[in-house]
Amino acid sequence: MNILQWIKNKVRSRSIHVAYVDVGSCNGCDIEVLACLAPRYDIEQYGIFVHNNPREADVLLVIGAYTPGWEEKLAMVWDKIPSPKAAITIGNCPISGCLFDRKGSFVDPPVKKHIPIAAEVPGCPPRPTEILQAILSVRDTVFSDWEEEHP
Amino acid sequence: MTTYLFEQDLITQKYRILVAMRHDSLVRKIARELDIPVQELRRYLIEHLDMIQLENLPARAEMADDHADLGDAIARALGREKYTIYLRILSGAAMDAIVNEVNTRVHAGTPVDDAVAYGRTQVREALKL
Amino acid sequence: MKRIVDVNIPLGPIHPCFKEPIRLKCEAKGERITGAEVELGYMKKGIERIMKGRPWQEVMFLAERVCGICSVIHNMVFIEAMEQISDISVPPRAAYLRVIANELDRMQSHMLANFSYCYTIEHETLGMYLLDLREQVMDELERLTGARVTCAYIIPGGVRCDIPKKEAEALLTTLDRMEADLRRYAGMFEGGPMIALRSRGVGILTLAAAERAHVVGPTARASGIAVDCRTNHPTYQKLGFLPITRPDCDNFARVMLRFDELFQSIGIIRKCLKELPKGIVRGGGVCKAGEIRYSGEAPRGELTYFIRSDEFGRIVEIQIQTPSIMNIEACCHEMIIGSDSIADVTSTFVSADPCVACTER
Repeated sequence: MNILQWIKNKVRSRSIHVAYVDVGSCNGCDIEVLACLAPRYDIEQYGIFVHNNPREADVLLVIGAYTPGWEEKLAMVWDKIPSPKAAITIGNCPISGCLFDRKGSFVDPPVKKHIPIAAEVPGCPPRPTEILQAILSVRDTVFSDWEEEHP
Repeated sequence: MTTYLFEQDLITQKYRILVAMRHDSLVRKIARELDIPVQELRRYLIEHLDMIQLENLPARAEMADDHADLGDAIARALGREKYTIYLRILSGAAMDAIVNEVNTRVHAGTPVDDAVAYGRTQVREALKL
Repeated sequence: MKRIVDVNIPLGPIHPCFKEPIRLKCEAKGERITGAEVELGYMKKGIERIMKGRPWQEVMFLAERVCGICSVIHNMVFIEAMEQISDISVPPRAAYLRVIANELDRMQSHMLANFSYCYTIEHETLGMYLLDLREQVMDELERLTGARVTCAYIIPGGVRCDIPKKEAEALLTTLDRMEADLRRYAGMFEGGPMIALRSRGVGILTLAAAERAHVVGPTARASGIAVDCRTNHPTYQKLGFLPITRPDCDNFARVMLRFDELFQSIGIIRKCLKELPKGIVRGGGVCKAGEIRYSGEAPRGELTYFIRSDEFGRIVEIQIQTPSIMNIEACCHEMIIGSDSIADVTSTFVSADPCVACTER
């Protein structure tokens, strides 16, 4: 590992920007992501900033079963994120559709079909600590030594 | 970076809103009242209203039934305030013209029922534009 | 809808200020907003279509997942509607516990709404204070019901579990502490000169327009309409509930009204815990066939369920009219029209406490 990579690893481990996109959930996971901001969980002490702006994001949190409104749009959002990037799904909906994937509904899970997913956090909804832990573990596995692995 | 803004075709999604239980019964009621095909009215609504207005149609219609045009029987029969300021599917000027014409016909001696029926045909014409 | 406009500025679906995806196409003349078109469809899951033909045991959990923020009230209104259809009586203790769960849910929702507003007008400190306070309410809700968000606490003929004496005392202590904190934060909001500049006189929703659009909840009460479904609820009538109104019609009034209602909710919970009758909390009952229109007061306003069920307790037809439908409609077609700048659009929109998941179901 050269010195430049070492510096990049060091800096990246303390500066992760997060955007979240709701592709059709019940809103319960949204507020659990928002609860991560609260002083009790304090997401910013780990150097994770929630800005909800895809163009400066590193991590995309995808919430919800995939609805027809997001056809093409979710892929567009994913393309706009500069690499290195990772997508994490929050809740049961993006994995299996939870309660919503039944006959007659409009959803089209899993989200895995539409964009590449790095980690999945099951739960209906997951606790804020679990979301926090998922982001932290993705930070260590995806972003370290990224330039060396992708020359 | 110069790409066109992506605009999705919303017709199927708007149609899904309109076929829900209460929306469907409301649309059928209006269609029966004005004597136009249901599908034509749906097409008109989809073209002229945005999605949140479509979602809110039953609630607004309920308020219109309770509060619109309480003092004026002819305007209420034609649905003056109901169609213009509550449901917002017709412009105020077009509706005013129709109501004025019906009123002059009633003053000229036409029976009220016939004049209102004539007014309804005019509303129907205005909706077909 | 095709129209020729001066400038068309789309906001969303992903926007730093919006919690949920919605697209507002604002038509502007210079900086002044002349109209807006709303594009939904990002959250349409078709819950009502899934509910049809399913037994109430399944629909109960689906109803809860119409909205994650106000899940308790969706649960409560659906179950109470089924109870009215099938003549199931509720033990008095369970009725009071339902009110406690509902008011805790209302408190966390109002705090989240006020946090969103403070965050949107970039008063992040006050927002974080409120979010911290909300975590304490969530703790109490978790202690009472067993889960943070989708708790399925209310069942036909009662509630799932009783509140032990020790936990009731702990709840009272937390309420005292929260009230002191909340009084300070409400004072900060009311007295902040910059907040007043950003919120007073912005986003006016006049009484007549509010009545036309059938606006409900805090948005209506901040425009001076004393409409609150809790006045029709038997348990709230026993507790002597009276709705609060404010005449100012602007963003400031809407946020302050939510602060007022937080204090009111604390008072209601205290009164409930004081008058809590003794007895069982689960009576049980069988759901029958019938048709009903039943309303309850969600944190955002009047929530109405139209239900038809068959003799096995299955749902034949259902439609849910959520408060956000009316509030977002009035917000986008009345409140933001005539705003002096694009920057006011987001704060006005957030002040109406929109919930897109409710709106589209």
